[in-house]
Formats: sequence, structure tokens, C-alpha cells
Amino acid sequence: MIMRAPRYQHHDIAFNMAPLIDVVFLLIIFFTLVSTFASAENIRMTLPTPDKSKAQAIKIVDRVVINCQYAAPVTTGGTGRVLYSVGPNPPEDLDSIAQKLAAARQGNPKLKVIIRADKRLRYEQVRAVMAIVADANIQNLSLVAHVAAGEE
Amino acid sequence: MQYRLRTRRDAYRGAQWKRGSLRQGRRPLTLNLAPMIDVTFLLLIFFSVTTTFKRAEGFFSAKLPQDAGRPTVALPITPVIVRVQQYGPNPGDYRLRLDNFLNAPATFDELSEFLANVQNNPGFDADTPVVIAAEPDVAWDHVVGCWNAAVRAGCKNISFGR
Repeated sequence: MIMRAPRYQHHDIAFNMAPLIDVVFLLIIFFTLVSTFASAENIRMTLPTPDKSKAQAIKIVDRVVINCQYAAPVTTGGTGRVLYSVGPNPPEDLDSIAQKLAAARQGNPKLKVIIRADKRLRYEQVRAVMAIVADANIQNLSLVAHVAAGEE
Repeated sequence: MQYRLRTRRDAYRGAQWKRGSLRQGRRPLTLNLAPMIDVTFLLLIFFSVTTTFKRAEGFFSAKLPQDAGRPTVALPITPVIVRVQQYGPNPGDYRLRLDNFLNAPATFDELSEFLANVQNNPGFDADTPVVIAAEPDVAWDHVVGCWNAAVRAGCKNISFGR
């Protein structure tokens, strides 16, 4: 009887990339669908979140965004400050913003102003912006808040 | 010296040698996936780094008076004036008051219900002016909450006042 040595089959070791590529493509498709690139003029802040919000996510053209940021107090017990800025520009005082608004209103009579104010600010700090908007003879004003959770 | 006749097989192998397939050995044609995977990973990293999930923003439309000092509400119409008052140091220390009405809603939900019910009374409707008069110290969050309550009640003529 002839004894045969066992035959070993040699296979190339290969890394199966197909599932990895599948997952990566799925992730890319997910991110491309859900991503909305943030506008630079919408500075990050804590916006008001009213219950059952009726704020409407609409597109407003011919607009100027005035951001009212809350600056936390430096010392304990101090009051927070407010930083006003037009769009993505650095903070400036209200007189300077009023001049810009007046110039923009002359160039575009249909100009709309959007006030994005931090919810921690006091009413008088936002009312000061409304006053300069009214002084610039601009009637159309929009206040920004978060929309309801189910209507995003 | 011994010569051998050049056969057709010799000619075929010569052609193979010329085009290199015999020299390099026969390799199967494969698609090089490495650059595609590189780009794909770059895209993935870009999106995962730049993406921030946030709640969408919306707008409340408002109108400002054309000239400062002029009353925004026509006098014969009785507006509903909602006063937001601050009675303590904390942002949550606020209360709601309504001029000419005995009822004082405690929350924005109650305010919304009240404003919706007011529209059913004679002389009031959805176009009745609702004036939000907030004290200077009141948090902006509550002012917007008040505005939202009026919008929820179906009021169409909402404005700020003192």
C-alpha cells in the first residue's frame, strides 16, 4: 500500500475590502444627505427655544443679520455683557451698526433685518437693536428662535 | 551548428516576449482600489469633522413702526397688552399680566389658550393687536416665548410696546 503525504493547498491570503468600502460609502452618503453647511453670519449662540415653537424655517433674501451675543461676566456675581455684530463681522458698537444699516437701507429699500439674540440677554439689550432698526426706517424685522423639534 | 526550423509556436512566444507578458509572467488584470479608498476616506474624515448636528433655526416676522413715537395701534381698537414682569434676580423669576383682564396666565401655554379664547369675545378677533410689553430686565427667552404663545393662538397682529 502506498502512503501518500497529505496535499496542502496553497491559497493567497487576501484582505476582503468590499464590506469596508460598502460601509464607508454608506457613511459618506449619510453625511452628504444630512449636512447643511452653516452660514458664517450665523454665529454660534444659545437661541431661544420656546415650547411648541411656531418659528418658521424660511429663506429670507435681501437681509442683514445682526447677532447679539451673550458674553459671560468675568467676575462672580457680575452681569453678562452683550456683543453686537453684523453677520460674521467682529463685534462693534451700536452707533457703527446704525450707520451701516442706514447705508444699506439707502441702497435697498426692501431690506430686512434679522435679529439673532442669545436667550440669556435682557430685553433692553435687544430692544436697543430694535431701536436702531426703527431709526433706519426699516420695518421688516425677523426674530430668530429654534423651530419645534419635529419640524426641522 | 544545428538549426531548428522556426515554427508558429516560436513566433507566438517571440511576440509574447516582445510585448512583455512572457517576461513579467502572466498576471490577471486587477483594478487598483487604493486611490479610490484614499479619496473616500478623505471625504469621510472631512464630513465627520465638519458636521455639527444642530437644531434648525426659524423666524418670527415682526413689524416696526415707521416713525418713532407714533402709536402702532389705531386708537379705536382695544389691544391686548401682555406685560412680562421680572420680580426676582433669577431669569426664571417672571410673571405675566394682561391689561384690562383679571386673568393672569402663569405659563406661556396658558397665555396661548387665553389669547385664543379672547378672540371668541365680541370686539376681538385674530387681527386684534397684541402688544408685548416686557420690562427691561426680562430675559429675551421669555419675550420670544410670549411672542410664540401669541403666534400659537393665531394672533396676526403682534408687536412690541411699552
